[in-house]
Amino acid sequence: MLTDREIISTLEMLENENLDVRTVTLGISLMDCAGFSLGRVRDKIYSKIANLAQNLVPECDRIGQKYGIPVVNKRIAVSPIAVVAAALSSSQQVEIAEALNAVAQEVNVDFIGGFSALVQKGIARGDRALIEAIPHALAATERVCASVNVATTRAGINMDAVLLMGQIIKKAAGLTADKDGIGCAKLCVFANIPQDTPFMAGAYLGIGEADAVINLGVSGPGVVKKAIDRALEAKPDMDLGQISELIKKTAYKVTRVGELIGREVADNLKIPFGVVDLSLAPTPNVGDSVGEIFQSLGLLSIGVPGTTAALALLNDAVKKGGAFASSRVGGLSGAFIPVSEDLNISEAVRKGHISLDKLEAITSVCSVGLDMVAIPGDTSEECISAIIADEMAIGVINNKTTATRLIPVPGKAAGESAFFGGLLGQSTIMPVNNGQGQNRFIRHGGLIPAPIQSLTN
Amino acid sequence: MNKAILSVLGHDRPGIVAAVSGILFDQNCNIENVSQTILQTEFSGSFIVAMPQNLSLDDLRERFIENLTPMGLHVHIEPLVKKETALTTRASEPFVITTKGPDRRGLVAGISEVIAGYGVNITNLQAVFKGGDEPGDNIMIYEVDIPIDIDQPALYRDLREKAKSLTLDISIQHRNIFETINRI
Repeated sequence: MLTDREIISTLEMLENENLDVRTVTLGISLMDCAGFSLGRVRDKIYSKIANLAQNLVPECDRIGQKYGIPVVNKRIAVSPIAVVAAALSSSQQVEIAEALNAVAQEVNVDFIGGFSALVQKGIARGDRALIEAIPHALAATERVCASVNVATTRAGINMDAVLLMGQIIKKAAGLTADKDGIGCAKLCVFANIPQDTPFMAGAYLGIGEADAVINLGVSGPGVVKKAIDRALEAKPDMDLGQISELIKKTAYKVTRVGELIGREVADNLKIPFGVVDLSLAPTPNVGDSVGEIFQSLGLLSIGVPGTTAALALLNDAVKKGGAFASSRVGGLSGAFIPVSEDLNISEAVRKGHISLDKLEAITSVCSVGLDMVAIPGDTSEECISAIIADEMAIGVINNKTTATRLIPVPGKAAGESAFFGGLLGQSTIMPVNNGQGQNRFIRHGGLIPAPIQSLTN
Repeated sequence: MNKAILSVLGHDRPGIVAAVSGILFDQNCNIENVSQTILQTEFSGSFIVAMPQNLSLDDLRERFIENLTPMGLHVHIEPLVKKETALTTRASEPFVITTKGPDRRGLVAGISEVIAGYGVNITNLQAVFKGGDEPGDNIMIYEVDIPIDIDQPALYRDLREKAKSLTLDISIQHRNIFETINRI
């Protein structure tokens, strides 16, 4: 017999605290679709995805209704197209992106990730073709997401790729200038990219994965915030150790929901279950924000002194609670701080509480990086590459994933607003301090070697 | 061996279970199942007991009336006849139906009528009506077994329509979600 408290507290999480399954992402290997002929590669990709994903959305909706928990997004992640379409030219790879977009529309998923290349140590022919195809591919499609891994802790940082990505980002922004450079909102540059994350824009299916796999991303920043608020109201003198314990327990509950739903979707689709990505992923809605958690913890806003420590506590507690709740944990697993996608964080930018420099600092203790950051449209390619290089260095040295999703908003300056719409949200454009002038360091290119794994201070 | 089911009702106070079980012990009865609860100020308990061959139901009833009436308790005893019902063999899934909304007459009757109409069995019902319009003060929680061979979308639709006509918010969820979230 269930107790009324168990039932009422669960309903509260669903109805008032925005508990949901943020995404169920079907990973599909396209390695068996590779070939020399554009037509054949395209047809094989289309039919394989259409076939495997045809029941994804109805099944997620049905199970969401059964448990009363919405699966907000249904997505697909495929093998890196730079490998699958390695024999094709850059313009042919744009056509592959269009085919991915078309099949995503047919099976009714909101994003399809995997227009990706892994170039941490060198850029192969297919990789270069893909990277050069990215601006056109993102401008020509709505649902395709691209990612490029330019660094790993084992390989170091490929600075030639970093430099190239500065150019690509500017070009992608330029081709979608009418929509504030939205192409860049679908493009992540990574260090240590996880090969099983269900979250966009970085989702792709790694080479070591099965033919098809269901990965699931839970969310729940609203649930964590409300749990902290309630506990502090009842006991205002709680210490941070106790608050960490509370966040752990809350993360446990959120993760269990994800595991239950992910396994059932996987069973019903007869596709193996992969991982739960334990992330606090915000949306641009009140009560569904990671930024608000900082205020519940007693800070004026995200960005003020104390933010890094608070985020370290939050991120670690989420991982500990989640790791206990599920033995299949993967992906990014931590707190996200995507500026435009989080109402509270974009508000902190508008009020000047958080700068690009502080944002970079806190990415050393959370799961992503400079995510959905709108910067002035006249920021130079070199400067963008330099920001990427800094962010990659944090990931490589600290043996963790970091990424950038920078949007140089065409024709707009710091302080103006950029609007991306939907889950991508909106944000005030952040100034890039000291970003003017030449950057000879970035122009050197080459490889920053992999870091030593001892002498860890 | 004969079995009996007895129910005990009355104003709650310490010693009710001790009194009932003491009589059963004296009469060589064995308790197989007990469920007791307190609603506001009132005690309600049900006992299934195995009786020795030489004890009649009337004798046992007599003992209870003699000992419990001074305590202000009412006892009802029936022989337990075991039946194989269709319910135990029908495949079903456990769901939880919860409603919240302003108190008024006919809420339990309205919702349970729809539930019964589909052959859905209520396995546990908790309802609290503190009165007034505060939805959180007026809650019904039905744990039910929904047979897998019925038209589930139609049941959901009828329940939602009934809830709407009673100005209730309703949620219908598989029971696993509550166990998954709250229990290790």
